[in-house]
Amino acid sequence: MSRVRWLALLSCLLGLFALTVAACGDDEEEAGGGGGETVAGGSLTIYSSLPLQGTSKAQSEAVIDGMKLALKQVDSKVGKFKIKYVSLDDSTAQNPGTADEAQTAQNARKAVQDEATIFYLGEFNSGGTKVSLPILNKAGIPQISPSNTYVGLTTDKPGSEPGEPDKYYPGGTRTYARVVPADDIQAAALVTIMAEDGCKSLHIFNDKSTYGAGLARNIELAAKDQGVTVEANDGTDKNAPNYRSLAASVKADCFVGSGVTGENYVQVFKDVAAANPDVKLYGPDGVAEAAFTDPAEGGIPADVGARTKITVATLGLEEFKKRNNAEAEKFFTDFEAEYGDATPDPYAIYGYETMALALSTLKAAGAKANDRKVVAEQLTTGTKDRESALGVYSIDENGDTTLTDYGLYLVEGGQPTFERVIKAQN
Amino acid sequence: MEAASVSAAPRRRRSEAVREFISAYGLILLLLALPAYYGVQDLSDTGNLTRLGNNVVEGVSNGAILALIALGYTLVYGIIELINFAHGEIFMLGSLTAVALYGTFGLTADTGAGGLIIALLAILVLSMFVSGSLNVMIERVAYRPLRSAPRLAPLITAVGVSFILQNVGVLWIGASQVATPDLLRSQAELFNLFGLSISRGDLLAVVVTIPLVFLLTSFVARSRLGKAMRATAQDPEAARLMGVNVDTTISLTFLLGGLLAGAAGLISALYQTSIWYFQGFSAGLYAFTAAVMGGIGNIRGAVLGAVIIGIIQGISDNRIGNEWTPAIVFLYLVVVMVFKPQGLIGEETREAG
Repeated sequence: MSRVRWLALLSCLLGLFALTVAACGDDEEEAGGGGGETVAGGSLTIYSSLPLQGTSKAQSEAVIDGMKLALKQVDSKVGKFKIKYVSLDDSTAQNPGTADEAQTAQNARKAVQDEATIFYLGEFNSGGTKVSLPILNKAGIPQISPSNTYVGLTTDKPGSEPGEPDKYYPGGTRTYARVVPADDIQAAALVTIMAEDGCKSLHIFNDKSTYGAGLARNIELAAKDQGVTVEANDGTDKNAPNYRSLAASVKADCFVGSGVTGENYVQVFKDVAAANPDVKLYGPDGVAEAAFTDPAEGGIPADVGARTKITVATLGLEEFKKRNNAEAEKFFTDFEAEYGDATPDPYAIYGYETMALALSTLKAAGAKANDRKVVAEQLTTGTKDRESALGVYSIDENGDTTLTDYGLYLVEGGQPTFERVIKAQN
Repeated sequence: MEAASVSAAPRRRRSEAVREFISAYGLILLLLALPAYYGVQDLSDTGNLTRLGNNVVEGVSNGAILALIALGYTLVYGIIELINFAHGEIFMLGSLTAVALYGTFGLTADTGAGGLIIALLAILVLSMFVSGSLNVMIERVAYRPLRSAPRLAPLITAVGVSFILQNVGVLWIGASQVATPDLLRSQAELFNLFGLSISRGDLLAVVVTIPLVFLLTSFVARSRLGKAMRATAQDPEAARLMGVNVDTTISLTFLLGGLLAGAAGLISALYQTSIWYFQGFSAGLYAFTAAVMGGIGNIRGAVLGAVIIGIIQGISDNRIGNEWTPAIVFLYLVVVMVFKPQGLIGEETREAG
């Protein structure tokens, strides 16, 4: 064999060796960066990852307040373990109000690399969880979201995309749960309220995000089931200067903006309202925040707010009182005592329940609360008939809550204000 | 053989004639394809062209704002052949300045017409001044030292300045879109002409843009400084030898571009009723596209390109979908470039001769 051929063969073998080493190295870093399934020592760390900049800042802060309250109630201890809480920001200055993909991945890797990590609470946005979930799942870290609603994160129900949800669970077992009902329920709730309002036809705009486009697909399906005609489902470009021409294409008697405030949905609602003075306006939980509802905070004008109805999975204080839910009453009492706020943001209670569920899961794991595998299994299979501030619920085999109630919110005084419970017609 | 040659000659003449026709009118036909298609559809559906007309009205007002920005690109490119990527951000800062001045002048949605007009005129002047001064300063600090550097150096510097200014915007108002007071009730219908709805915002955009474009055209065509600009654009060395102060002329060009961007900033804030640190990027991209489509370096070309892009946006948003609009606009640009690489009206730069 000539010298050149020898060199070529040697190069190939070296290349193959390098690739093998690199691949092995990657596996170790991704899956075992945290140093295995059991956390050594007496301290466990719970991370939260939420957008702390931009339009979702107020909601995220409410979630964190709720989480801190739940942690304080157990004096930051579960059994023999001390609990340390670390808050991370998944948004960036250039990409605020939602999960920035690179930042979210960095947060998830940070949790993986921390040997003391036992829970990861987040993301706020479903698009962010699409990024963090596979990283955390591969490392076996249990994850709970206070707000994700996208169907495809947990099931392959209509509205999901091909390959979902399996692609988010490369570890082969489920490690994720959420405390809000998924978008198939929210879509049914939205269409139920539209049908009650006399809507015969519907025009949807979606922000093309995982959440917005997924919810829009669910709304289409729910509308078909409930006999409401969907005229169109149009994607919107966040960078567009305005949506006047698009808004002029709305011919239906009802409009739903399936998106989040940070995707320019104040402008979307303003333009649709101006072009269609008689159209009824509906928004999902993605716009249930002061940045959308309060003109003083850059939200929609008051006259547009008066025409807008919003669905959120949380219910009002009166509703919880009506239901004699002691856990909810305790939350509201303690929240006011801690923060001096008798009417917390709707998401505070979800932050509270997310942390409370994590802590109760650790408690149920007992002496093995430092074992990620045991904790994840307890979360996804052992959460049954849990009496919580949100009501009695279980986590099903997919990681979804069995709660189905959605709240109808109106915009009053620039704030989303609870009106009543919607019993969605599935 | 001879018979074949004789019959081939008329065929060749016919194909040449077809090619000439396509070359001369093909582009116009292509540009009209979208409105013509939807016009026919409207006529068969509703028997009138009201919907298409309203798309065009929206497009013209959006295009008018784009035109003011596009002029800044075309002026600077015409004179120093630099794509000033930071120009969109000059426009954005003009918007931010204008909205900040709403508060200074105590303007709210309830301010009376008289006070509103006087205050808005003052804000227009101040926004133009701020954007113009900023543009001149950037030219002096970031571009002038690179005048004799390789062409890539000022280009990448312009990209850098653009990012710096975007971050100034983030520091100023944060990174989210901010709704601003609707001082003019910009979407309120002013009058209706044969079904065409003309809003206050539409009128504002056109009424401010037309005089400014007219003033600019007159200034460049008739004034002494305008002649100096044209001379510099044609041949800076020859202009220098003829006594033209080239540096001052280039600064003047940046000043004019900045002034127009400042005016566009106020109109945009009044028209869109929102501001965003990133608004300059997308508007700047479309405005630059308009300048290229019309013929970079050509003032009339920039205005024509902006109006065409505005109309394409209006029709596409309304008929095809807002999410596809960027693709449709750039498809049009590609088509125009393929047929007329020098732009619709033609370049007026040294490169073009």
